[in-house]
Amino acid sequence: MKKILGIFSLLLLTGSLVMGQTVQITGNVKGSEDGLAMPGVFVQVKGTTIGTITGLDGNYTIAVPSSAQSLVFSFVGFVTHEETIQGRTRIDVILKQDLYNVDEVVVVAYGTQQRRDIAGAITTVKGDAIQSIPMQSFDQALQGRAAGVSITMPNGVLNNPPVIRIRGINSMTASSYPLIVVDGVPIATGNWSGNSAITNALADINPADIQSMEILKDASATALFGSRAANGVIIITTKRGSGARTRVTYDGYVGMTEPYRLFEMMNATQYIEHKNKAWQNLSGPTAPQLSLVNDASGQPINTRWSDYVYRTGLQHNHSITFSGSTASTNYFLSVGYTDQEGMIKKNTYNRKSLRLNLDHKLNKYISLGANASYTKGFNQAPNTGASFATAGAARLAFVLPPNIGPFRNDGSYNIEGSALGRMGQPFPALGYYNVAAIFELNKFTAETDRLLATISASVEPLKGLVLKTVFGMDNLSIESITYQSPVTGDSFGSNGYAGSSMQKNSRWTWTNTINYNTTLFERFNIGLLGGIEEQYNVNNWWSGSKTNVSDPFFTSYQGSWVTAGMGGGGQGENYYISYFGRINFNYDRKYFVEFSTRRDGFSGLSVGNKFGTFGGASVMWRASNESFIANTGIGEIFSDIRLKGSYGRVGNMAGIGDFSSLFLYGSGVYGAIPTLTFSQAGNANLKWEASDKYDIGLSFGILNDKIQLDLNWFYNDINDLILNVPQAPSKGIPNNSIPANVGSMYNTGFEFTVTSYNISKSRFSWTTTFNLSTLKNEVTELAPGLTELIGITGGLETTSRTKVGYPIGNIYAVETRGVDPTSGRRIYVDRNGKEVLYRHEFPAAERWLFKDGSGYSTGISIADGKIMGSPLPKVYGGIDNVINYRDFDFSVNLTYSLGFDLYNGSKAGLRDQRWWNNSVEVYETAWKKEGDITNIPKPVMNDNISNGSAFVISENIERGDYMKVRSISLGYSLKNLPGDLSIERIRLYGQVFNALVFTKYSGSDPEVSTEGGSNLAPGIDRNTAPQARTYTLGLNVTF
Amino acid sequence: MRNIIKGSLASVLLITVLLTIGCSKENLDPVPKTSLSDLTVFDTKDRVVAQVNGMYAFMKTGAFLGGRYYVYNDVRAENFIPKSSNLVTNYATWNHTVLPGTNEVQNLWGAVYAAMNAINVFKGGLETAWADGKLTGKVTAAEYDQYLSEALTLRAMCYFYLLQLYAKPYNMNAGDNPGLPLRLIANKTAADNDLARSKVSEVYTQILKDLNDAEPLAVASYSSDLLNTTRVHKNTIIAFKTRVYLHMSNWPAVLTESAKIVSAAAPYTAPSGVAHTLNPGFKDIWATPYTSKESIFSMPFTTTNTPGGQNGLAHYHHPSSSESYYLIKSAGSTYSKIDDTDARKLLMVTDGDGRTFVGKWRDFTTLTDYAPVMRYAEILLTYAEAIVRQGNSVTQGAVNLLNAVRMRSFPDGEYALEDFTTVQNFIDAVLLERSIEFLGEGIRNMDLMRTISTIPAKAGGNMGDVSTIAPNSPTYIWPIPQNELNFNKLMVQN
Repeated sequence: MKKILGIFSLLLLTGSLVMGQTVQITGNVKGSEDGLAMPGVFVQVKGTTIGTITGLDGNYTIAVPSSAQSLVFSFVGFVTHEETIQGRTRIDVILKQDLYNVDEVVVVAYGTQQRRDIAGAITTVKGDAIQSIPMQSFDQALQGRAAGVSITMPNGVLNNPPVIRIRGINSMTASSYPLIVVDGVPIATGNWSGNSAITNALADINPADIQSMEILKDASATALFGSRAANGVIIITTKRGSGARTRVTYDGYVGMTEPYRLFEMMNATQYIEHKNKAWQNLSGPTAPQLSLVNDASGQPINTRWSDYVYRTGLQHNHSITFSGSTASTNYFLSVGYTDQEGMIKKNTYNRKSLRLNLDHKLNKYISLGANASYTKGFNQAPNTGASFATAGAARLAFVLPPNIGPFRNDGSYNIEGSALGRMGQPFPALGYYNVAAIFELNKFTAETDRLLATISASVEPLKGLVLKTVFGMDNLSIESITYQSPVTGDSFGSNGYAGSSMQKNSRWTWTNTINYNTTLFERFNIGLLGGIEEQYNVNNWWSGSKTNVSDPFFTSYQGSWVTAGMGGGGQGENYYISYFGRINFNYDRKYFVEFSTRRDGFSGLSVGNKFGTFGGASVMWRASNESFIANTGIGEIFSDIRLKGSYGRVGNMAGIGDFSSLFLYGSGVYGAIPTLTFSQAGNANLKWEASDKYDIGLSFGILNDKIQLDLNWFYNDINDLILNVPQAPSKGIPNNSIPANVGSMYNTGFEFTVTSYNISKSRFSWTTTFNLSTLKNEVTELAPGLTELIGITGGLETTSRTKVGYPIGNIYAVETRGVDPTSGRRIYVDRNGKEVLYRHEFPAAERWLFKDGSGYSTGISIADGKIMGSPLPKVYGGIDNVINYRDFDFSVNLTYSLGFDLYNGSKAGLRDQRWWNNSVEVYETAWKKEGDITNIPKPVMNDNISNGSAFVISENIERGDYMKVRSISLGYSLKNLPGDLSIERIRLYGQVFNALVFTKYSGSDPEVSTEGGSNLAPGIDRNTAPQARTYTLGLNVTF
Repeated sequence: MRNIIKGSLASVLLITVLLTIGCSKENLDPVPKTSLSDLTVFDTKDRVVAQVNGMYAFMKTGAFLGGRYYVYNDVRAENFIPKSSNLVTNYATWNHTVLPGTNEVQNLWGAVYAAMNAINVFKGGLETAWADGKLTGKVTAAEYDQYLSEALTLRAMCYFYLLQLYAKPYNMNAGDNPGLPLRLIANKTAADNDLARSKVSEVYTQILKDLNDAEPLAVASYSSDLLNTTRVHKNTIIAFKTRVYLHMSNWPAVLTESAKIVSAAAPYTAPSGVAHTLNPGFKDIWATPYTSKESIFSMPFTTTNTPGGQNGLAHYHHPSSSESYYLIKSAGSTYSKIDDTDARKLLMVTDGDGRTFVGKWRDFTTLTDYAPVMRYAEILLTYAEAIVRQGNSVTQGAVNLLNAVRMRSFPDGEYALEDFTTVQNFIDAVLLERSIEFLGEGIRNMDLMRTISTIPAKAGGNMGDVSTIAPNSPTYIWPIPQNELNFNKLMVQN
């Protein structure tokens, strides 16, 4: 006890001595690798706030109290160095490069921690890793870079929000999208566009401004985000200035993008041969005959419709940053410009962005900070996605007949009303649009304005005690403009259409925290955090439309039209009030314990149910700090051994609307008279979805951290899932569903990450990062009496079922067993297991024939279906290799997903026997004569059943396993440039993005999701635009 | 030292801020700005009236009486060929390949039951508000009765229309077949998913009960032609009863009801209430303002209240639509039996490919043509048929009624009593007249069903041929939708 008191008084004495006499110390700092002077190194008197920064020549001068014991030298990317003063007045040091990133500081909820002190599951991705990826937003580039994080681009349209899943699908009918926090403030995410020009709200952050991205996966890491933490959290930290010298950088690239793996369709000759045969199979010898049609030059028309949809797009991207710091102020300014053409015609993305980040130390106690960014985005995209829309360009690229063309011989559009013209061919009305015409005539754009800004102030009245207030604003507005020509297409019937919509989303967040960190008795490290946060969101949107243009000259809503539509809109608001706290404690950096809790109040819940409490806890044992391990053989081989465990309960409120708990009446008109109708059956008992998350982890390094391994096991038990519980349609409840907290499921898996610094010489380094995640999902409960949930594609096709005892979102199909070689008919299996053949040309009652000859079946439908596949990958991850040799750098990034099925719905269309064009496979392998072994039945004109258009058949379910070479890049750097150029470094590089795909999947791309982020219908590929391959040449210059 | 003071001051300030930001109460309880809560919808008379109109809005959805219902009942029968094989525009209904999961099978069911629940929610709310005295001084007793009568009538229509597609005709075993689940009270919660089908006869009993309850409560007429055409009044109910009894082959009842709204002699007019009568010109029925005395009940549309893209009747019957249906004109077809001078043929439009369209709905641009639910012509033809069937002999009175409809459009087509040597001759003539008169109005398939007739084959040209469907065929009626079977455990398939 006496001893402890002694230490205590010594501490107090040290504190008071600070005010005493000072000594001047000077010195110089150099880097270990190149021996060059290091500017901008932070030199601090240990245990005080006294500090300075080295100048351009690496020199520094600091006045230290005579009582000071040692100086601490720190610089990003170098191992922090401590030097005892021992009475010296000149201290030169050489800083060692932190080759293995062991000293990394990680951003956590409401603060930062040393990577090695963290028990929670957090993965960091550095901004540098994604900066040159030719995409629109940082989230798209996270693919394959973090264990447990699966990212899927739903299709090849620019600026599509990717499907992000952290540790699997964590909700059924609510969103599984993680919470995104930028510089401490949760921001709006998703697509807010009012038309087909998709916008990703995360594209409003210039990837070049990002310092790091922390992905928080387990409950102990996310617990402080409470009710919004269940899907994981991604924390984005933007760059700050450092270094006494103003550093100027330029990053830019030019590139081109093109589609790959397009379908090989029948040419005109093959088409007419095949379809005429199909027609004869339907109607006999009197069947109509298709023929070749001549173009203006007298040659037969042979149209590759995909040529009118796809192109090679050009892209360029530039960003310039200025950054630096003085003793009291650091600043980061950036300006960015990107202009990208997609591989789909008329699909473009343009962004201009500005950012200013500023920190200023007012005095010893008070610091101020600001981040502000303004972004203007412009998106243009034709209608590509909607699976079954007659304007859907991805389908038009393969469905239209090749023996007719987009233009008549006189050069005018080949159209008949809204649809493609038949050029005298005996088709029924084609119905589908002339894609060349609608691409040229129609226009869909969305323009975004985004302001993201925070101002913060913090006070440190006592050492270790920081009071901080942060006020953040997120204003997002999007104007979506649609024009559809009266000439042909969707708005031929209404003689043109112009629609505009305006979406305004504004949010403020005010966070106040008290943070106290201290060390007692040298070995007890304690951190305390308390806080209050408020967030208020307002969403207002309106839309207007006009039809029947008065003169084709007018192409905008503001122009002159005959008929004005009713218009639409919505107004919403919601509010959160939250109280949170965290205690962390460690003894001698060996035994770590942490508790976090958050109480959230949310306005969208019913009175009396507005508040919920969440929390998490973790423990960690850093075994390598135990002398009995460090000093044995284990300690020689293994370093930094940490054993971790955490548990927490967090929520997901994405399924709760602003007014979900209320019974509402909507208004409208009956002719011209106002109406009020029952529009929402609310649920007053609605509350958050809750996840109980368990995590056990082991991390260690081998050979002095040369190889670092991280192994995690997790189990997320998700309860109170909000299901829009389907109601019997005969009840007539609006939307046939009522939301309720009724379901449960779990996700469990292993995550394994290895970072290996294979070679780390100054002239040659090679680093490999490998991550692998496994995932098992099982639905354990649905609403009482509810046996399954149905997932629908394109609003029409019932593709997916979710059932208790199975993973979520299974593909549901009628089993088929190939084609009967004798008759050439598709073999279906009915609900009783009997095989049935389908014969389209027969009278309705005789079409479905039992294969065993026992008469006619009453017909097969999706009611005969069963679960035939799961689209959730069992294993996924990425492999990253970075090699630096002298002035060259080379990197290759692979991603993979294994053990999953996809519904290749496009294949049903590619083989459909209406007048639709078919793939060459159909021409070559369709059943022709008895004995033919094939998967494609005898073609009969108008048969939309045998190949899966009418309902899903197992023939069209395929294995989706793939490995992608996501990017390959090769760079060359020029360093040590002549001093008078004041250029520090120039790097030139070339990159191929989406370079290669290895897969047996027969669709365009196994990385696909027609239904975007839908939890209940994942893994659907229905007339989806394929992905693009992009080649870029880039330049980085640092002044 | 000064800095310490400054720092302390600032921190005191910050702590004060921390403690004083309160959870502001009103922020946690926002009120929606674009919807009304169920607690306030009976607060004013205007809101009650808006709810009454809301029931009609549900009847008028594109999937139901706004457009598609008529199309289903026409294209199942023998008169039309689709231009497009698009499954969304009823191709499967046309070639009798609908399945329990087919969109129209699920969508119509959902739309009609949604209308019924809206009706039941309103009716229940109205009765409660009335009993609680909340409507005192806002709604008179007569108005209360009127609103109830409208609710009951619309509900009866919903059940009647559903029966025609999802259940066997009443005339098969006098309705002793599975009918519909009878939902008569409001559903607002997750309870009561399971409800078994009542028999066809029981559903008819309910329909007639609702209509008979409604009739004495209804108003005789409204203040304008528009309201008389688009809202339920006494004669609407009577007219609908003639249709219900016709489908039950209850001839005495058809006669009783018809006599209430058809005068003894030409020109035939409803003697009381709204003076329904045939409009002199056939063509004018299909033009603005669509509110002639012939139109007993129609669904109104405006440029800001349209049936929606693939729903409007013009979408299905206009030559410019790529998904419209054109008439079969071969020998023996209904078309071939229409005289070239007949106004109903003169209204038709033929396109460049020689395809002929009925021409009743002409506003393809904005789809604002009214959708006719019932016209006076139907009452006269129903009356004529009932007279002959009841008396089992052809009478001059019945011939006169038939002629009234026929000769309006085809003055040279007068039938004489002696043209009909048998009762069946006359019935055939009436059915043909109905087929011609109501082309596109969704009557034909209902006539086939109530007479237990085989659905004729169709030579569909490019669209393939469609064979006959006999009354004992499983595809004679639509299947029960899959989603109803999924979530209503007591439901059974047809």
